[in-house]
This record gives sequence, C-alpha cells and structure tokens, in this order.
Amino acid sequence: MGLTELLSLYGQNYLQALLTTWLMTIESFALVMIIAVGITVMRVSPMRPLRVAGDLYVQVFRNIPGVALLIIVVYALPSLRVVLDYRVCVVVTTVLLGSAFGSENFMSGINTVSAGQIEAARALGLSFSKILRRIVIPQALRSCVLPMTNLLIAVMLTTALGSQVPLNPTELTGVVSYVNTRVTGGILAFLISAIGYAGTALVIGAVGNRIDKKVRIYR
Amino acid sequence: MTDATTQQPLIELKHVDKHFGSLHVLRDINLSIVPGEVVVVIGPSGSGKSTLCRAINRLETIDSGEILIDGKPLPQEGRELAAMRAELGMVFQQFNLFSHMTVLENVMLAPTDVLGLSREEARGRAMSLLERVGVAEQAEKVPAQISGGQQQRVAIARALAMHPRAMLFDEPTSALDPEMINEVLEVMIGLARQGMTMVVVTHEMNFARRVADRVVFMADGAIVEEGAPDAFFDHPQTQRARDFLDSIKNH
Amino acid sequence: MSTSAPASRSVRDALYEAPGPRTRRRVRIATAISLILVVAALAAIGYRFYITGQFAPRYWTFFAKATTWKFLLQGFAGTVRVALTAGAIALALGLLLMLGRISHVKALSTVCRIVTDFFRSLPSLLLIYFFFLIVPQYGIKMSSFWMLTLPVALAASGVLAEVFRAGVNAVPKGQVEAALSLGMSPLRTTFKIVLPQAIRFVIPSLISQLVVVVKDTTVAYVVSYPDLMQNARVLITNYDALVSVYFTIAIIYILINYAINQASIYVSHRLGVKIIR
Repeated sequence: MGLTELLSLYGQNYLQALLTTWLMTIESFALVMIIAVGITVMRVSPMRPLRVAGDLYVQVFRNIPGVALLIIVVYALPSLRVVLDYRVCVVVTTVLLGSAFGSENFMSGINTVSAGQIEAARALGLSFSKILRRIVIPQALRSCVLPMTNLLIAVMLTTALGSQVPLNPTELTGVVSYVNTRVTGGILAFLISAIGYAGTALVIGAVGNRIDKKVRIYR
Repeated sequence: MTDATTQQPLIELKHVDKHFGSLHVLRDINLSIVPGEVVVVIGPSGSGKSTLCRAINRLETIDSGEILIDGKPLPQEGRELAAMRAELGMVFQQFNLFSHMTVLENVMLAPTDVLGLSREEARGRAMSLLERVGVAEQAEKVPAQISGGQQQRVAIARALAMHPRAMLFDEPTSALDPEMINEVLEVMIGLARQGMTMVVVTHEMNFARRVADRVVFMADGAIVEEGAPDAFFDHPQTQRARDFLDSIKNH
Repeated sequence: MSTSAPASRSVRDALYEAPGPRTRRRVRIATAISLILVVAALAAIGYRFYITGQFAPRYWTFFAKATTWKFLLQGFAGTVRVALTAGAIALALGLLLMLGRISHVKALSTVCRIVTDFFRSLPSLLLIYFFFLIVPQYGIKMSSFWMLTLPVALAASGVLAEVFRAGVNAVPKGQVEAALSLGMSPLRTTFKIVLPQAIRFVIPSLISQLVVVVKDTTVAYVVSYPDLMQNARVLITNYDALVSVYFTIAIIYILINYAINQASIYVSHRLGVKIIR
C-alpha cells in the first residue's frame, strides 16, 4: 500500500494517535514531576521511615518491567476493587515508573551541590530553609535539565504501553496494530509512527539542550 | 596588648574535647581571644587546628567543654545559632563560593537574606568590599571564570559583607597556587591592621610572624605552646615546637 | 592539608548539621509519626488484600508445589535466553554504530548517528510490532524467539552505542596524542589504545543496561514466546489466581533487576569507574 493511500485511509487515525501520545506524555510528565518531588523530599528528609519508604518506592518502580506493572494495574487492581479507566491505567503506570527515575534525577542533582557550599551558607547565618531555597534547589534543578529531558522522552516511549489495552482513540504504537489488522500497511505503516516518535524526541532533545546551555553551572 | 588580660574575651574555649571515633582530635583546649586580637594557629597535619577553627561557629560539634562568644555559650541550633554565625565570618580552604551565582550575588546573598538589607544597599556594600579586595572588575563573572586567588578574595568579601565581629580563616591559602598566596595574604594583613579580630589556621609562617599578636602551636589535638610570635619562633619552649619549626625550615 | 574531619559525606547528610537537643527531639517525634504513617499505609494495602479475599489459601498453596516453580523456571530460562542473545547482538551492533559514528568518513558517521538516534527514540513495543506485524507481510517467516529478540536487541543497540561513545570520550586526549606521536596509525590507536580503555570505563554501564533488556523481554506474550511472564499467564489460567501470581512475578522481576543493578555498582567500585546512564 502506498503512502497516499495509507494516509487517505488512516491519516486521521495517525494524527489522532500522535495527539493522544503527546497528551498522555504531557499529563504523565506533569504528574511524574509532582510525585518525584514528593518522593525526593521523603528520601532526603531526616526521618528514617520516610527515607526507607522513598528508597523502596524507587527500587520497586525503577526495576519493575512496564508491562508487568501495567498488567497489575489493569487486571490485578480490579480484584482488589480498584477499577480504573484504561487510559488512566496507562497514565498511572507511566507515572509510577517515571517518578522513580525522576526522583533519581533529583537525587543526583542534589548530589552535585558541594557540601562545602552548604557549610559556607551555614557559616553566613542562612537558615536551613534559605539554604535549600537559595543554594541547594537552584543548583540541583539546573543540573537536572538534561536528565529530565531524557526522562520526558522516556515517558513518551512508556506511553506506548497504551497499545496493550483497548484505547479510544489509540496512541502511536497501538495505531500500527490497528491499521495492520485491517489492511497490509507494510513498512510505511510502521514508519509513520516511528517518525512521530523520533521527530518528537528530536524536538524535545533540542529544546532541552538549549535550556541546559543557558542554565548550566560551570564549576 | 596590655589590655588583653583585662578585657572580656570575644571568643573563649574552656576545656573543649572532641573525638572522631577513636581519634582524640581536641584535647582539653583552653583559649581566649580578645577583641582586636589576631591569633594564628599552627601545627602539623592532623593536629586538630582546623577542627578547632570550625568548632568556634559549630561547623563541628564538641563532646565536652564550653565555647563562649562574648561571654555567652555558643547556641546549639536554630535562629540563635544562625544569628551567632552571622556575626562570625568564615573563610574556607576550598573557597566554597556559590557556583550558580555571580561574584556580586555571592557577596550580596547573606546581607539581603539574613540581615534584610535592600538590594541597593547590599549592592553598594558588596561593590565597595569587592573594590577593597581588588576584584571589583570581576563582579559579574561566575566563580569558575576567575582564579583561585580571586575566588578566595571574593570569599573574604562575602564574609566581610556581614560586618562580622571576628573572622575565622581555615587554611585560606592551602589550596592556592604559590603565585596567588600573596594576594590573599595582603588582604588579610590589611584586615588585621584595621583591627579585625582574627583566628587564622595556616602554614604561612611569615604571615604569622608579621601579623599575629599571639601564635598558638597545636599537636595531637592539644595546645602545646602559645606566645608572642617572635618569642615563639626564636625561642620555642617545647621539643615538639622545635621539631615542627625545624621540619618546615628544611623546606 | 590538616583536615581531619570526615571529608566526603553524601549531600543527603551534608544538608543537615549535627542536631541540637531541640532539633533532636523534633526529629524523634517526626520519625515516630512518619513510622506510624508508613505502617498505616502498608496496613491499608494489606487490608485491601484481606477484604477482597486475596489471602485465601487457594491463591497461594500452589506456590508450594515443585511443578509451579519448575514451570516458572522454564519461563525464566526463556527470559534469560532472549535477554542474553539480545544483549550480545546489541553489544556488537552498538559497538559498530559507535565506531561508525566516530569515524572520519562523514557519510558513515552521519548515517550511524541517525540510526543510533532513531533506535533510541522508539518504544520497544513499536519495534516488536514491526517484527510481529510488518515483517511477515513481506513473506519473511521468523520464529517467535527472533520476533522478540531482534526488536529488543535493536532498541538496546542505540542506547549502547551512546554508552560506548561516552566511554571513548572519557579516554584522555593525551593518550591518543601519545599513541599517534609514537607513529601508530589512527586505526591502530583506536583499537589498541582507545577501545580497551573505553570498554573498561563502560563495563558497569553495560551491566546496568541489561536491566532495560530484561524489562523489554516481558512483552514476549505479544509473540507468544514462553518467557517468565508468559508462563505466569498460563499459571493464572490454571489456578485462577491472578493477583497472587502477578505480584509474585513482579517481585521476581524486581529482585532480578535489583541484583543486576547491584552487580553493576559493585563492578563500578571494583574498577573505580562511574556508571554512565
């Protein structure tokens, strides 16, 4: 099947799929950031139970395969009487996975702050919260730009889990299977989606690099 | 320093002890420093002199004994401790400038955030201090763009911007290339001349001889000997001090 | 230098100074409260399991049977086969892509860069669909093993190419200059001087990338390849025990990947090199 024929028949589906992927990515990433901040606060808090719980959260969700987690969310939670919409299931899975990596990024961002600078701030009479707000957080955030850019791309790729559940409209990976159950789409059916992902990743990467160049801390 | 005995000490350590695990890093330290006095602490590596300096503003805690600032015990935490630290300037071996801020912002931070100065006031104060330490042209650069000697002078300006009652120097020239040591020492000498109370941990013996009112020699966590610089350097009383002075003369 | 203080603490600890008595008391109280909260959260989850009857013996007793574990082990063997084959292919392909990318032949370098970036920016599920749905359309017949292994390998090769490149960049420039000044050819320098060091730098990172490969193998059910996940699904149908099996399997995967990560950290300490992600 040629490109024009494929696009005239299913162009609308691909476009909707791309938008769905984008939308799920944005929703997921926003939630990833919020939860990652919360988990990171737990992990750097002086309360040991919170540290342990935060560390455990990260170890569980950075090591569990996405498919396994999705299946638990979709099929096991209803047995525990937690029933979620399919699309919500995909976003929840993506957010759980992404927030573990997001917290790891924040932690390594915090680790780039030198202990000496914190001592210097302390010696100047800055309070704990001032040290966090003026020294630790600004430096940690600036060194997080590139890892978080990569995480945004990873979150987009994780939303492909949506192809494993019935979604309407479906997303960019699911649409390949949708099209191919109806017609023989050939390699083009795959390439259109692939270019959707790769193009988006290219743009995200370029924007991330620009921001990083602007805010990078020279040491 | 005739009035040294009668004046109320600004910084006073009484029977201070500290361990790092099994290591006894401070042994029964007794030391008092009056306003305007310049005390230089010397001694071999691992003698506890840095720990002593850092304990004065509680960057190190102590196991027992007392540290008094202006006759009052050093607060242990919270606002009181922060307020006390704001009155004691500290200069570190590794400069520790805030790497995400310009030189000017480094010096302005504490005056605005701790003292509550307006930005204009803080900027004026910062610029005149940067002028005084000779790095005003670098005000808009970030620390990584200037030399180590310049960074350390900025660090001194940053501490001075709080109008501290005393300055603590923890080996301020040890991390510097040899050709940059003097530019930092010059600034410190200027400060001493203007009557700043100073505690200086250093290996710079010429500086000690020129500027110190009193030299304190530490070894193995204890104060072994103290006295006027000329007396100490020319006629050390203890074998430890003689050995130490011999060992650095050979260099 | 006479610094005797413990020099390198993690910033996690450097954030807090030694607490005074008031702070110590506050932290103790907050710790107690947080402990109660954490325990309560765990209890709430446990209670969910309890009220929905998930602790009933029929969901768990079959885990005591040897046949259950033998079956899961067969699945695990399948997972290992796919992961190691895909890992090996990805290593070779990643190395080739990297060598192409750092070569001085402009066209080759551009092509390799595009291929690397392309594979890195695709979800592995899409690559699976490519081999499962698209390739057969061209009359190419593949076993389910290869329909799973190839996409997993391709997805990893792009990432590994970047890991290798980071390793090459970590080799000091002086080493190359020294080799060239000794009269070694650029090609010989790359293979004799740069690559051996670069590979040493990236060994821990390569180990940790195995986690990604293991995770990707779990989509085996799409092509009906009997891996750990697929065999777990069979167990579920046999025993009608969805929750207990999925949670057990999830924990097994988490432990495997945790072990791989720990191995990577151990090796990085032993070799004294950092893990590049």
